Amino acid sequence: MSRAKLEKLGLTLPLLPTSTVGSFPKPDYLLQARARFARKEITQKELEALERKATEFWVQQQEEIGLDVLVDGEQYRGDMVAYFADIMPGFRMGGLVRSYGNRYYHKPIIAGEIRWPGPMTVKWWKFAQGLTSKPIKGMLTGPYTIMDWSFNDYYPDRKSACLALAGAIRKEVETLVEAGAKVIQIDEPALSVRPEELPFAIEAMQMVTDGVPAYFITHICYGAFEFIYPRMLRFPVHNFDLEMSNSGLDLIGLFKKHPFNKDLSFGVLDVHSHKIESPMLVKERIAKALQVIPKEALWVDPDCGLKTRTVEEAQGKLRSMMAAVKEIRQALDKAPKRKQRRIEVGSVVKKRRKKIRKHKYKKMRRRMRHKKK
Amino acid sequence: MELVLANHSSYPRVGASREQQRLRRAYAQRERGEISADDFNRVQDSVVAEVIEEQARAGCELLTDGQIRWVDSISHLAGRLNQVEINGLLRYFDTNFYFRQPVIKGRVAGNGPLVAEEFRYARAVSPRPIKPVLTGPYTLAVSSIRETSLYRDLPALVLDLSEVLAQEVRALAGAGAEVIQIEEPAILKHPKDLRLLHKALKPLSQAKGSSQLALYTYFADATPLYESLQELPVDILGLDFTYAPRLPETIARLGSRKTLGLGLIDGRNTRMEAAPQVFPILERILPRLSGGIAYLNPSCGLEYLPRDKAVAKLRLMKELRDTFLQRGKR
Repeated sequence: MSRAKLEKLGLTLPLLPTSTVGSFPKPDYLLQARARFARKEITQKELEALERKATEFWVQQQEEIGLDVLVDGEQYRGDMVAYFADIMPGFRMGGLVRSYGNRYYHKPIIAGEIRWPGPMTVKWWKFAQGLTSKPIKGMLTGPYTIMDWSFNDYYPDRKSACLALAGAIRKEVETLVEAGAKVIQIDEPALSVRPEELPFAIEAMQMVTDGVPAYFITHICYGAFEFIYPRMLRFPVHNFDLEMSNSGLDLIGLFKKHPFNKDLSFGVLDVHSHKIESPMLVKERIAKALQVIPKEALWVDPDCGLKTRTVEEAQGKLRSMMAAVKEIRQALDKAPKRKQRRIEVGSVVKKRRKKIRKHKYKKMRRRMRHKKK
Repeated sequence: MELVLANHSSYPRVGASREQQRLRRAYAQRERGEISADDFNRVQDSVVAEVIEEQARAGCELLTDGQIRWVDSISHLAGRLNQVEINGLLRYFDTNFYFRQPVIKGRVAGNGPLVAEEFRYARAVSPRPIKPVLTGPYTLAVSSIRETSLYRDLPALVLDLSEVLAQEVRALAGAGAEVIQIEEPAILKHPKDLRLLHKALKPLSQAKGSSQLALYTYFADATPLYESLQELPVDILGLDFTYAPRLPETIARLGSRKTLGLGLIDGRNTRMEAAPQVFPILERILPRLSGGIAYLNPSCGLEYLPRDKAVAKLRLMKELRDTFLQRGKR
């Protein structure tokens, strides 16, 4: 539980703090501008003006919707690894590699010593924070994921490349904190791909976060968590932001076997579906989370970045999420303490009660059989 | 010892030039309904011919069609079977590549040829032998969602898929394939199912006729399973050395009764291997192999690399092999 950590940083957040994973869809005018910039038809300055306009739009949207911890929306980024690889010395852009179907991306190559080039995200963090009094998260990609999603021509092995990246990301973290960031999210979606490498992924994150006065979140998605849980709890962050809804909330079963002992940002919106979840569905998902996570440790957000949705879909999904959270907060406020974990939300509690009745009935039958013997 | 240069399986379907990106454009045009199925197939045919020629020019001696027509290694086969629907995306092992996951709705059955026609075309345009590749029954089964009570247990699905694939092996053997490659990367993640794999490979082995049946594993360390893999009913074992630092030592100690496919060239990274990395391994293990032949190949399909790097790896493989053999003669 890291409420104390947050308060020490001067952040008082409501129960079930709401946030998003980082990216928002780019408005059409920005998509067109990026294409024109690629064709050298507009200047960097002209593109940046539109990126600022889109950032302002998304900060305003998040405030209107009522989210608690905001993001800059990554309107100036393309791919989460390529953005950093483009800026950091040591990388060069590789050729096209297929990711699925007919989708390809330029996979970066680590071709020399990786160095921190100076602030990579701080300017945008400051710009976004200047637009709101709510906290804006610093948003970075973690060293393990940048390493795993790049080719390595330079370092002798994956661990050395990962640790070199950790040194560079650490400097970015320090600069974000100097600028005033109190919540920093470091995304590690690749974390679960090679369970045997978890120890050095942890070592790298330790290098990034150790002794830094900030609340750290890491986002992981679409992975085989069953191979790294509960070992992944050793990852030195305060909050794990996990994709839950796309995988049918499978992880809850794992958390029942081995308690989750950190704060959890629980993904309640499937970002690969056009369908806008109803507040009732979101409430059911949150109620399931509350079965395994104490309410003080639970955050609520989408499964992943919303950049693949339309602007309207992203807005609709977040409004639905916020409506659900508000209702649950009210229920939690009203409920007496001992009953708070049994908040009446849709069918979830009913199903649970039915299960308990069934269990009690079976127990009674067993006792009766025993007596007969 | 003869050291034959073989491609593994997939090959990058697009490259840096506009011409090398014609399949990507055709795919998008086909999706938008701007070109006919025949037009699209003609583009696929031309890219298959192009990558075959590229492999041959790089010095490869046993080629593949690059799996140019495959959406991915799971749904390309599973999607052609009865009672199978194709679902959302899932990460393919530890790669950053995603496959479409099959959903098994009822008893699986063949619905015509899977890759035999593709093999015939590739063979017709190739100057050298072509090795057809099939994803194995175990990997197909564990990559699928089982929605029918018929397959509540995994073995039932694995064995039914095995029967379907055996028909394909028969068709490929009949079409003249000298080596037929079965890919089973998933078994390394589930070693407890090795006996099931043994059972599932039997029908394939019985259907192979005079062809050689190769079992290729990758994306994990095969060392702990090495002795058990030797017992499987296949002629060739393909091994990924990039995950397995102790594998050379194990082979040197135990030898091999089967022909080996030596995956010493990293198909996942752009760094070019140097002789001091590769030669000591060849020196240790080649004397321990029986049969007088081994294959030198990439550790996995080359589609994880950009096109220019994939062809550079094949050229490097030839250079290393030739230098190694020359050195032996001196």
